[in-house]
Order: sequence, then structure tokens, then C-alpha cells
Amino acid sequence: MHRRTLLQGMGLALAAPRLALAQGHARTLRFVPQGNLANIDPVWTTTTLARNHGLMVYDTLFGMGRDFQSKPQMAAGHEVSADGLVHAVTLRADLRFHDGQPVLARDCIASIARWSKRDVLGQRLALLLEEMRVKADDRFELVLKKPWPGLTWALGKPSANICAIMPERIAQTDPFTQITEYVGSGPFRFRASQWVPGSMAAYERFPGYVPRDEPADFLAGGKVVHFDRVEWHVMPDPATAAAALQNNEVDWWETPLADLLPVLRGNRDIAIEVVNTAGALAMIRFNHLHPPFDRAEVRRALLPAIEQTAFMQAALGEDRALWQVPAGAFTPGTPLASNVGMEAVSGPRDLEAAKRALAAAGYKGEPVVILSPTDFPTISALSEVAADTLRRAGMKVDLQSMDWGTLVQRRAKREAPAQGGWNIFCTTWEGLDVSVPGSHQPIRGNGAQGWIGWSTSPRREALREAWFDAPDQGAERKIAQELQALAWEEAPFIPLGLLRPPQAFRRSLTNIVTGGPPIFWNVRRG
Amino acid sequence: MFAYAVRRVLATIPVMAIVALFVFSLLYIAPGDPAAVIAGDQATPQDVERIRASLGLDRPFLVRFGEWVWNILNGDMGVSIFTNLPVTTMIQQRIEPTVSLMVLTLCLAVSIAVPMGVIAAWKQGSWIDRAVMGFAVLGFSVPVFVVGYVLAYIFALELDWLPVQGYTKFEEGFFPWLENLILPSIALGGVYIALIARITRATMLEVLQQDYIRTARAKGAGQRNILFLHALKNAAVPIVTVIGIGIALLIGGAVVTESVFAIPGLGRLTVDAILRRDYPVIQGVVLLFSFVYVLVNLVIDLAYTLFDPRIRY
Repeated sequence: MHRRTLLQGMGLALAAPRLALAQGHARTLRFVPQGNLANIDPVWTTTTLARNHGLMVYDTLFGMGRDFQSKPQMAAGHEVSADGLVHAVTLRADLRFHDGQPVLARDCIASIARWSKRDVLGQRLALLLEEMRVKADDRFELVLKKPWPGLTWALGKPSANICAIMPERIAQTDPFTQITEYVGSGPFRFRASQWVPGSMAAYERFPGYVPRDEPADFLAGGKVVHFDRVEWHVMPDPATAAAALQNNEVDWWETPLADLLPVLRGNRDIAIEVVNTAGALAMIRFNHLHPPFDRAEVRRALLPAIEQTAFMQAALGEDRALWQVPAGAFTPGTPLASNVGMEAVSGPRDLEAAKRALAAAGYKGEPVVILSPTDFPTISALSEVAADTLRRAGMKVDLQSMDWGTLVQRRAKREAPAQGGWNIFCTTWEGLDVSVPGSHQPIRGNGAQGWIGWSTSPRREALREAWFDAPDQGAERKIAQELQALAWEEAPFIPLGLLRPPQAFRRSLTNIVTGGPPIFWNVRRG
Repeated sequence: MFAYAVRRVLATIPVMAIVALFVFSLLYIAPGDPAAVIAGDQATPQDVERIRASLGLDRPFLVRFGEWVWNILNGDMGVSIFTNLPVTTMIQQRIEPTVSLMVLTLCLAVSIAVPMGVIAAWKQGSWIDRAVMGFAVLGFSVPVFVVGYVLAYIFALELDWLPVQGYTKFEEGFFPWLENLILPSIALGGVYIALIARITRATMLEVLQQDYIRTARAKGAGQRNILFLHALKNAAVPIVTVIGIGIALLIGGAVVTESVFAIPGLGRLTVDAILRRDYPVIQGVVLLFSFVYVLVNLVIDLAYTLFDPRIRY
């Protein structure tokens, strides 16, 4: 055999599998998620990845549309009694689980019951619930102790934990224990046997899924799937993900690193777009239990020093399309966002005013411990700017870097900073979570029972309660404005701007549903 | 020798026990709480406590350690806190890519490094010797991930000869398997080649000064025979030792290489588990690595007898 012939043969042999794979990939969407899908019970955990997985595999009774309003999804109809206490839900006739069984009212009731023990709005439902009763195989009722106009919104909200509908036998699992069987009625069937945590998760189109006969409308409308298979490929290294996208080895990368965007923009086959338009609200969170931030005057004193633009630039760069300032207590661009008191962060910045206010508030030079996660570049950048801002405002800062796993444990400590506690950490909240008072944890004032930081404010709690009872969006807006005014006054957290990290995908993909998390219906190739 | 092998295998038991105790204790005192990670931001302290209790993390150290050891003795490494999958299943899923990567790297490194070292020793002081030593310095100095990025850029992005990332199982075909491993093996092999080449050169230089080499030359033996039959066999013991020690180097390097090339191996499993504080997985993988290392050392010890008949156990 001639040497050249041998080399040609070897080249062909190496290329053949890639050619075959390329043909197979036409009906497969290859997606690089933001991280490792480590657990897949969207009720047991609040991780964004489990939620995104849940939205593929499980359907919800209601779904949020692009207008942030709740619309029937699995529900064919929804009636509320005149006194607002009884919500009757009728299921669509063609609903089936992935094991072929029909979706029944008792499955929905068991699923709601499990969800109501873990989700913050679910817990609200549990408080208000008199009973849930099956009226027929395709009809059930939720009987409340007092009216809750936002019930369908809660049942269809896209933020974790979603109210995923599962077969009754699975939904009866203790909510604090993971499910072991993954059967939903959503448009995709999870291939558990092919799941390699940390590497790959595979989904196949569920042929038994009947989408609503409506155009796709974020999480509402028709969920029409145009791919036979969706694969999530976990790539911990951003440079590898960028190279794989450029080399057409993957189609869609959820979280391209800001530093790599210029490289990707230089490739004419790749589009960079904001898919999650609701974004994530960045913020500084204070520990309210210990000096100096146990006093509202000290927390408020920092406001004149906060330059939201600097935080956003550090996190996502100069491109203003990727972030939005000024941002208040609620996600900019959502119905309850307002400009009330916004001059607190949008007026001229004044470090001297901050120094004076800190002195007047009695700050005595106590060290301020800031926790910074090194494995979350965006939050790490926010933490660096926060440390610099506080230093320039005259505070003594101790910026402590650690991995996220350590930070999560450390921030749960209630001891004084000198005993291993903390004063500040920066974080981001999904825009959809903090768009309404009900799921807005940072704005709550329920003290020791509340979110990390343990802010106490009976006034904020009362306003949140009032929001649940608000009869219409006008009333909701008024309450949200009052809450925002109170947020500037009591400063349980300081908003730093809305991050809208872009996503990168091959231009061969079209019709991607925008609005929130990555969604795999409606999107098609070519 | 059989009795020696049995004694050595039995000796691994206390070693493994110490490793087990060390790993378990280290994780117990290390910061991080998987229950808090799982519970998420909306969870109340009571929720976190309930999750901790459901995972058995609220029980005393000795109870947990005793139970873990008992389960290990019964072949049960436990269940991942996060994925709810048995640790043995997760290791099974990940072992093939890592073993493939290490075996290919080992073959590549030995087949390149040993001749390099021999030739460098033979041509001591020449440009070939300097080139080999220069390569060795480079191999030691350039981090694995830098080599990986450069290789991926040239051979995947620019030339489009090989894929950037991923792994194809051996059962799906030899060439797809090989295609995915060529770049990672070269990247990982750099430091290993450097190490073996240097040791081979140094040992060969020593051996080539020996009287029996002069005698072989005087008897008219050819250069190739002198180098590879007479000298290399006598230089093999330290080379084999370094190859064995280098397995630890490969295990460490595999963690980085698997991340750079998105290979779903044990290295990435370990890193992911550490970042999430998935204790059962960390314990299982570290125990496995320790066992492999002990086993490799045993094999190396036994291999000495093949190269040096004077060695008897």
C-alpha cells in the first residue's frame, strides 16, 4: 500500500464518524446549559437548572405569557366562584403522562400538595387552603379560606419551584426527598438511562404531547416541538464551550462569558442575543443582625455612593444592551416596576455625602466582612466593586473570597462577623422572581424566618400581605410603589442594576422563545 | 513472588483504612453544607434542617463513619446527595473515559519519551540532546490547560481535523473513540513525556558508562543493540518507577484535561462533587484513586523482577 493511500484512508476513517454525526444532528438540538444538572426534581430543589429541566419534562396547569399574565396551559378552563373562594379547574382532554396514562385530577391535587410544602407561593396556598377536592377525572376544585386573586399566577409561575404536575404515585413522595421516577406530561421525555450528571442529559420529543392550538407565548400557548431530541452538554470551561459553538459541535450556549463575546461576535454563523429578557436583578444584601448594618441609617448611608453603572460594567462589560440601570426594588420592565424614589441610585453620586451619612449614623470603623464567590465570575465582579465602593466611602472592608459551596454555608451563619459570620454578600435574583412581592425574598421583613440577612420589617410584611389580596393590577402597582419607597428607606438590600446576560447560538436556529429561561419548543433549525 | 504479592495486597487494607478515615474526617471538618445548597434561597432554616436530616447529615461523626465503612465493606459506596444515583453507578459512568485517557496518554508518553531519552543520552551534548532537554523543560513549564487550548485552536478550530471536546465510547467505534482522545492525550502527555524522557536520559547516561557496555562495543555489537538491549534493560528499573509515580501525575492532570476537553471522566466528577460538597461521591472517588495508586505501585514492584533478575521477593 502506498503511504499516501494509507494516509488518505486514515483521514477518511477519522472523518467518517463526524460526517455521520453531522447528519444525525439535524434533528438534535445540542445545548450547553449554565451549569451541571445535578438534580432533577424541580420541586425538591430551587436550582435554575432543575427548573429549566422541569419546564421541558413537566407541564403546568397555567403558564405565564409574555405579558406576565397567567394563562391556562394544562387547564382547559378555570372558574372562580362569586365569593372568590372556590377555583374550579378543568383539564384538557388530551393530556397524557410519558408512561401513557392520562393526566387526572387526582394527579394534579397530589402535585399541588407536594409543591405547596416547598415553594414560597405554594406555602402561601397551603396557608389559605381549606381543601382540594376531585370533582371528576378531569376536574378539581381548590377551596380557599379567603380569596387569592393571584392563585393561577402562582400555579403557573416560571420561577423555582414550579408547580410541576406528576403522576399521583410520584407526587406522593415526601417533598424533602427526591423523586426517583421522572414521568411528566410535558413536551419532552427525559431519558434517565442516558443521564450522566456533570456531562449530558438527553430529552426526546414526547409524541403523545398535544400542544394547545395557539402560537407560543413564553410559557403559555402552544408548545410545538421541532426537534426529535435535545441534548444538554455540560461544559465547565467557557473557552471549550466557545470553541465547540464555533466548531458547530453545539448549537446553543446559555451563558457565554462576557470576555468571550467579541470572539463569538466575530463569527458570522453565531448570533448573540438576549433570550432571558427578564434578566437577573443584582443586589447587595446586608446582614441585619450585626453592626454596622443592623441599623437602617448605616445601610441607607451607602446609597449616595452606589454607582449602578460601575457594577454592571464590571459584571457584563460596556455593552448597555446587556444591562439596565437604574433599577429599583422590582425587575425593570415588569408591570410592578416604578421610578418611585429612584433618585436614591440614579441621581448624582456623592461619596462625601455617603461619608457624612455614615458618620452621622454612628459608624465607628468596624470591619465589614464581604463574602465573594470565586467560581461565579459575575457575582465576584459585583463583590469587588462593592468592596471598592465601601472603602471609598470610608468603611474598613475585609473582602473574603471562597467557592460558592463555602459561601452558601458561611452566609447561613448568624454569628457575629468576628466569630465566622459576615456583613455583606452580593447576589443576583432571577428577574421573574423579584418582579412581584409574593416571590420577592429580599424585600421581605420576616426576620429570623426569612431569607439570609434576616431583615425585620412589619411594614414591608404588611404590604406584602396586602399584595396577595390586591384585586387588580392597579392595586398591585400601588402596593409595589409603597414597598419600593420603603425599600429605599429601610434598605434591606441595595439594587445594583438588571443583568441581561446574552446567549449565543448558531444562526441556523430560529424562533427561539424569549422572555425567561431557555425553552426548547417553537425553536427550529433553518 | 506469589506470597509477596498476597502480602502486598493484604497490606493495602490498612492503607485504605487510613485513607478512608482521613478522607471522611477531612470532609467532616471542611466548610460547606450540601443541605443549604440544595435548599436554595427560598428555604427557611427549618427546611434546611429537614433536608439535612433526610440526608442523614445531622447524625454524629462516628455513626456516619461506621455506617459508611460498613456499607463500603458490603460493596455499597452510598448514594449521591444531589443526583440520587448510587456512587458506584456514577463511577461506572465515568471510569471508561478516564481509563481511556490515561491508557492512551501512557502509551503515547512511553513510546515517545523512552526513545527520546535514549537518543538524548546517546547523543549527549549534541543539538539533539539539547532539543530533547529543551522540550522537557517546556513540558514541565507549560500548564496542561494552555497546551490543551493551543491544540484545540490549531487542530479543531483552524484545521477542523479533530473535535474540540467530548468523548465517544469505545463500543461506538475505535476511530470516533480515538478522534476524541488524541488532543487530550497529547495535552496531558506533555509533562509525562518530559518526566520520563529526563529520567531515561539520566539513567542511560549512567548505564552507558558501565564496563559491560564497553565490552559489548568491543565485541562488535551494533549501536541499536547496545542502546536498546544492553543499556535500556539495565536502566529500566528507575524508568519503570517513574512511570508508576507518574500515574498520580496523570490522575491530577486528568482533572484539568477533562475540564478543558469536556470529557465526562472521574476527574470532573471529583471536581463537581467537591464544589457541591457531595460527600459520598468525594469519598468514593478518592478511595478509588487511592486504591488504583496502591495497585499500580504493587504492579511496578512486581515488574522489577522482569527487568532485573537479581530482584527477588
